[in-house]
Amino acid sequence: MAARPVCEILKYVIFHWKWEAAAGSRKDLLEGELLISIEASSSEHQANTFHYVTTIAFAESTCGDLVPKQFLKEIQLLLSGFSGKLTWPSKEASCSQDLSDLVPFQMTVEVDEKPTTLKTDCLVIKQFLHKTSVVHPKVTFHFSMKVNGVLSKETFGPGSPGVQRVCSRIHPVLGHPVALFIPDEEAHVGLPGELTLTPAAALCPCGHQLYPNQTSRLSTAFVFLYGPSGLPLTFPNQKNLLTVFDNNSYLLDWKKYHLHAVPNLNISLEEDSCLLPDVSYRIESPEQSQPQDSGTEEEVLLLFLFVDFSNGFRAQLTEAWGMQALLLTQLNSILLQNRSLVQAAVHVAVDQALGQHCGLVKAQQKLQASIPVAVSSILSIVAGSTSRSFRALCLETLQAADTQEFRMRLHRAFQQTLLHPSTCAPKNPLPEPAGPEERKDGDKSLEEPVAGSCCLGKAPRLKRCCQGEGVGRRTQADGLGEATQPPVDPKPPCPQAPGWGSPEPGWEDSLWLQVLSNLSERLGGGSGP
Amino acid sequence: MAFTPWSSKASFFRVLDQHRVSLIKSLKEGHGEAPRKEASSSEVLAAIENIIQDIIISLSRNEAPFLKIDNRSNWENIKFEDSVGLQMIPHCTTKKIKSDSAKSAQRFALILKILSMIYKLVQSNTYATKRDIYYTDIQLFGNQKIVDNIINDISCMLKVPRRNLHILSTSKGLIAGSLSYIEEDGTKVNCTCGSTAVAVPSNIQGIRNLITNAKFLLIVEKDATFQRLLDDNFCNKLSPCIIITGKGVPDLNTRLLVKKLWDTFHLPIFTLVDADPHGIEIMCIYKYGSMSMSFEAHNLTVPTIRWLGLLPSDIKRLNVPRGTLIPLTKQDQMKLDSILKRPYITCQPFWKKEMEIMAELKMKAEIQALTFISSDYLSRVYLPNKLQFGGWI
Repeated sequence: MAARPVCEILKYVIFHWKWEAAAGSRKDLLEGELLISIEASSSEHQANTFHYVTTIAFAESTCGDLVPKQFLKEIQLLLSGFSGKLTWPSKEASCSQDLSDLVPFQMTVEVDEKPTTLKTDCLVIKQFLHKTSVVHPKVTFHFSMKVNGVLSKETFGPGSPGVQRVCSRIHPVLGHPVALFIPDEEAHVGLPGELTLTPAAALCPCGHQLYPNQTSRLSTAFVFLYGPSGLPLTFPNQKNLLTVFDNNSYLLDWKKYHLHAVPNLNISLEEDSCLLPDVSYRIESPEQSQPQDSGTEEEVLLLFLFVDFSNGFRAQLTEAWGMQALLLTQLNSILLQNRSLVQAAVHVAVDQALGQHCGLVKAQQKLQASIPVAVSSILSIVAGSTSRSFRALCLETLQAADTQEFRMRLHRAFQQTLLHPSTCAPKNPLPEPAGPEERKDGDKSLEEPVAGSCCLGKAPRLKRCCQGEGVGRRTQADGLGEATQPPVDPKPPCPQAPGWGSPEPGWEDSLWLQVLSNLSERLGGGSGP
Repeated sequence: MAFTPWSSKASFFRVLDQHRVSLIKSLKEGHGEAPRKEASSSEVLAAIENIIQDIIISLSRNEAPFLKIDNRSNWENIKFEDSVGLQMIPHCTTKKIKSDSAKSAQRFALILKILSMIYKLVQSNTYATKRDIYYTDIQLFGNQKIVDNIINDISCMLKVPRRNLHILSTSKGLIAGSLSYIEEDGTKVNCTCGSTAVAVPSNIQGIRNLITNAKFLLIVEKDATFQRLLDDNFCNKLSPCIIITGKGVPDLNTRLLVKKLWDTFHLPIFTLVDADPHGIEIMCIYKYGSMSMSFEAHNLTVPTIRWLGLLPSDIKRLNVPRGTLIPLTKQDQMKLDSILKRPYITCQPFWKKEMEIMAELKMKAEIQALTFISSDYLSRVYLPNKLQFGGWI
């Protein structure tokens, strides 16, 4: 299987990249592009086998001082058990025109595999790219696959072309890093220094996607593990080395939230383009014994665990790489030893995320509750006015034929002004924060940003929680006699191009970027980048 | 002993009459601005329709509508004029009540709700009190204060006096003395009394045929003191006079009546308040107005009001027993400091001096402290002497 070597190479490239950035005391998020191109054709030598060449290319700015021969040698050492072929082609040779912009650094991995293995490899690689792009949102991963001449492409990161299926926004809460105690056995193996774990929590979908009277329940918890340099710790389909999470109460005391968690082992690479968690729990509550309202929104708790270590001095690149590679093998026992610390840190982040979510839901409810009052008041004045010109102007402005239609349009118009940009056209810009003119007017406590503007950061495309634009909105029933019902798409399909936000990361991504920047700064003093 | 009013002596009101002459002279010299013009019903309806129109136009452009209200809680928006009191500056800062903000959406909706109710009241030429408004939907409004504030906001936003919104405030004041008038519904009211008082009417604008020969109007801070004066037959002893109380911080109708009496008769008006920061503040409300109602200053303030008592300097002068004095609390001190910083204090050097005496003493005194000298000292000695010899500042 070539997925593992490809991912290891990518990890090493990113690690090296981060290393260089840290050496220059740059703690900004990595920014750049990588291209991963797979070209597969039926093998001439073996039946029912594909010969496929994976090319990894990146610009000189990614790893400025990287020496190809040296790099190849390091990779070959890294992948000592790999039976395929690793090459560093010359500048003249390129597998596709896509690579031309990214030379001069390219390397290829050649291997013969069965078609099913090829498919799995692609899914694994894409999962890795997707997971990595979450933590490196300014890095664009261009993935292309050509099988017997048929080309398909995907992009992970900010440079996604085309119309985006807007994912649910999340409100990440970054917890405080906690120093983990490294048992003596692990320290002897080669993990010196201090290991830190920083949790981040969020609920998906955000509160703005919920309707005022809509009930919601926490149905799933997804855990994503990241190691030094923000690299995914585990691979999909990898044998689970972190058995500590099999204990459903390891991370959280679910009873505190009147919930019960059961490890969900049904995670597989069946569905393309959806991000798979490292650990998944099915959440149950006592109320679940009763039949659930079909309108109940299922929510997912997202937990991101960032593990990094710092030994107070800067180790050599190879040494640092070795330590982070070792980390996964030792992490299970370390986490076991530090259960209470981890649980306390996760609890704080989850409490904040839940509290934040609750606040958002309440804010949305307040907004929605105000609309019927405003509408009926305006209608009362318009309908009761003896001024023909005033009534006519009001009806004409909203293009209503009569007061009945006027009421409906008025309601819809108010709803429209409250619609979160993420639930309508993704190209709609978010309202600007209060500019100098408004501040000059002396508007203070009542000058609030638009409700939707606090919903920042977009979740990666997750399995089972894709929301997109398909969710319909129901207005609050208040005796109006009708409710606007946009078309409801009960099951939006996962797109082929999940993308990451809009082509120009705007204000809506800034919080997640800030979270990652803060994390990057906190972890920047480590032995690894 | 036969009852003989103090005022039977011809010389008793000499100083008061001189004071009145000087007040009228000041008026003729052109001090003071004309009160705000009353708005007609059609003007009020048109103003409300304009607001609704703007909202609908915003919605048609897919813009979240908002309401703009002058910021009355900012001292920077308040100016002081000796002849008017506290009033809003012409181009003051504003606050936006947004419809798309969780913090202000509810207030936005409630303002529209009350606007629609006002619209109906004005259209049908009926009236309601603020309490009536609140009770139409107590769950929606939450509490009376919210309704009160919104009504003030609407009055300020439409630049229309509240009475033109057809919303009446519940009166809590009392009045007694040489005054008679006819209410809008034709009821004849005679405030001349012995030991009873008349409630301040709720429709001041509607009263007519005011008749008085009073030499002065005495505003009494507290109901207890007012009742004491009634019990002591003060109105007859110092006849002709009028006494009025707002029972603490005055309601709008009490202020409007005081203003009306000044505008109609140009009576010398005096205040009798406790020698404490709260009493001084109440006196300032009558005289100069309040921040919250500064947009209606012209209709509410009587800058010619004088402070009769209880002055902090009276405490020492009259040897008020120390045991009757109360130490200033921290809140008292803060309020005193705040009043001293207000713009109108600079043109009242004597008031400032009195407040400085209070600050130095660190003590306050209620009017009731005078009863420790003698039970009827207030009505028998203190007030008659003050009025006869010009003991006001």
